[in-house]
Amino acid sequence: MSNVAQDNATNLKIIARDVKVFYGQAEAVKGISMDIAQNEVVAFIGPSGCGKSTFLRCFNRMNDTIEHCRVTGLIEMAGLNIHDPALDVVQLRAQVGMVFQKPNPFPKSIYENIAYGPKLHGLAERKADLDDIVESSLRRAGLWNEVKDRLDQPGTGLSGGQQQRLCIARTIAVSPEVILMDEPCSALDPIATSIIEELIDELKQNFTIVMVTHNMQQAARVSDKTAFFHLGELVEMGPTNELFTNPQNKRTEDYITGRYG
Amino acid sequence: MSNISLIVLLLALMAIAYQVGMVRSRKVATINPGVRMHSRPQHYGMMVGLWAVLPAFFVLLIWAWFAPGVINTMVQASLPAEFTTLDGNEMRIVMRRISNLAANFGIVADAADWELVAAEYMKQLQHSSTMLLTALMATLASAGLVISFYKIQPQLRARHQVERVVKVLLVLCSTVAVLTTVGIVLSMVGETMKFFSFIKPSDFFFGTTWNPRFSTTGVGEGSLTGSQGSFGLLPLLSGTMLVAFIALVVAIPLGLMVAIYLSEYAPAKFRATAKPIIEVLAGIPTIVYGFFALVTVGPFLTDLGAMLGLTIRATSALTAGVVMGIMIVPFISSLTDDIITQVPKTMRDGSLGLGATKSETILKVVLPAALPGIVGAVLLAASRAIGETMIVVLAAGNSPALTANPFEAVSTVTVTIVNQLTGDNDFASPQSLVAFALGLTLFVITLLLNVMALVIVRKYREQYE
Repeated sequence: MSNVAQDNATNLKIIARDVKVFYGQAEAVKGISMDIAQNEVVAFIGPSGCGKSTFLRCFNRMNDTIEHCRVTGLIEMAGLNIHDPALDVVQLRAQVGMVFQKPNPFPKSIYENIAYGPKLHGLAERKADLDDIVESSLRRAGLWNEVKDRLDQPGTGLSGGQQQRLCIARTIAVSPEVILMDEPCSALDPIATSIIEELIDELKQNFTIVMVTHNMQQAARVSDKTAFFHLGELVEMGPTNELFTNPQNKRTEDYITGRYG
Repeated sequence: MSNISLIVLLLALMAIAYQVGMVRSRKVATINPGVRMHSRPQHYGMMVGLWAVLPAFFVLLIWAWFAPGVINTMVQASLPAEFTTLDGNEMRIVMRRISNLAANFGIVADAADWELVAAEYMKQLQHSSTMLLTALMATLASAGLVISFYKIQPQLRARHQVERVVKVLLVLCSTVAVLTTVGIVLSMVGETMKFFSFIKPSDFFFGTTWNPRFSTTGVGEGSLTGSQGSFGLLPLLSGTMLVAFIALVVAIPLGLMVAIYLSEYAPAKFRATAKPIIEVLAGIPTIVYGFFALVTVGPFLTDLGAMLGLTIRATSALTAGVVMGIMIVPFISSLTDDIITQVPKTMRDGSLGLGATKSETILKVVLPAALPGIVGAVLLAASRAIGETMIVVLAAGNSPALTANPFEAVSTVTVTIVNQLTGDNDFASPQSLVAFALGLTLFVITLLLNVMALVIVRKYREQYE
């Protein structure tokens, strides 16, 4: 957290300006601007339906996969406009990994789950390279010791928390720069949750992490900055400590003190 | 009074009893203020209705089952002494004449006096039987109505009684469906056993020649080529498998691609229109497909073959297989489409989020996830193809030869069943009976395929629920 201030000035990873998202006629995200610095962990909090997940999914253009969904405004990822027609969405998604709310391992072996991305992007020429990527990804996700003897078993056979770490390992395997997490712990028990939170803490040395969470304690524990969303607007964003101890906006205060949501 | 009118009367009585019971239960409720009735008025009404009708109905059923037999026996006993010693078949003819006379059915020429007497006696018996039945039913119905009427009390658990009757009714209905299947199998097993008394099972299952010979005179000394003909299943089975295989070769790629397009690429509106239209293919009568094969596809394939320097007969395994493949496309596409749609969206998101393209996602994640279900769909389509009759009757050429050449005419099990059962064969000859053995074989094959498909599909369902 000490390096946030200096990074903010020099090393912006994501810039969003006046981003709006429409589902058909309905405006789900109403003109949000935001800066996210490198190696920062940013948490999005807010009541259900406030547009935080939708906004998160703008960063790797996952909203493209939803029919009738339209995104306007500017988003720059490491200086590149992600809506630039010249930019390949496949490359963008290799750069911006995503972990979903429900663990969603592919119905393949643990090994194949991790090797899937590197194979797609041709990251490994030889089998040995692929083995290395699989091992290091699993190690960094803290799963290696638990699964190293059963890499050929189906990934769906793991426990919920293990599955979610498998999905994180799968994301790391393509060496992204940013990892988006959409309520990564909402389907997990408290122990699995705390393991993932520790993992996030380690991962932020190498990645910029943006996560959506319903759990304010979790936001307070793991994030450097927190953004509060309400009704499709960004109400307030600031260093996590300040936002939770001294919210500037009345709505933020009401929400974090549990008056609604 | 005929049984039909008795049933109509019973239904009317049920409606009346229902009303009576409802009114009574409301009255009981007002007589006992402060006491809560156990059931709602319609339950009491239904209970009275059931008590009024069901016992009488059972008597009707039992009567309808036994009365004709009893009457017949009594009439037989009354016949002059020289007829009582007749054997079964002759007696049946005599009784048929008498009952026709009694019913004034048909014109039985020169009826003998004793026949007229017996017919008159039978008429009398039938009349008194109906009277007796009507009286009995009336007694039971009114007794049921009255007793249940007075049994209506706040404590009476009418709802439970009604529920029990509903349950029994449902069990009976499902039993009918199951028993029908069992009955079909048993009837085929009986005839098949008769067939195997002529032909050794090993000659049937492993014989390589199909030449049933339409002569029924004499049974050869167990020789395959005797006057009895040879009943080798293998040529027919190979024909069936060849046609079904060609059909699947046509239908699997076509069906899968249709399903993938509909479920992954097509806009929702297009899908909503296209899917029912494709399913119409499954509703076209197969005889129409047969015409299509015979008139259009067969000549077209012959011309195509001539262009390529191949000799393709107009009626061949290829013609029948191609058309049958088109017929089963909707089975595969529709089921596969449902299965692909069931693959959770999060799975696709996971793949797309890693930077996979849409087709990579479909090929490497969605299809493998849906594979067990797709296999199930294909097996169902295969069992449909194996049992299909009309297309092959018209388009496969009806030539029971053991060949793997798709350009030749073949015959299938179903076609042969049709051939063996049409025409003027003695029904007790192996030439006819073989149809049942063939039918049973076919039934077992498709049953196995269906069971396999169901097991696979069910296993798949559990994975995501």
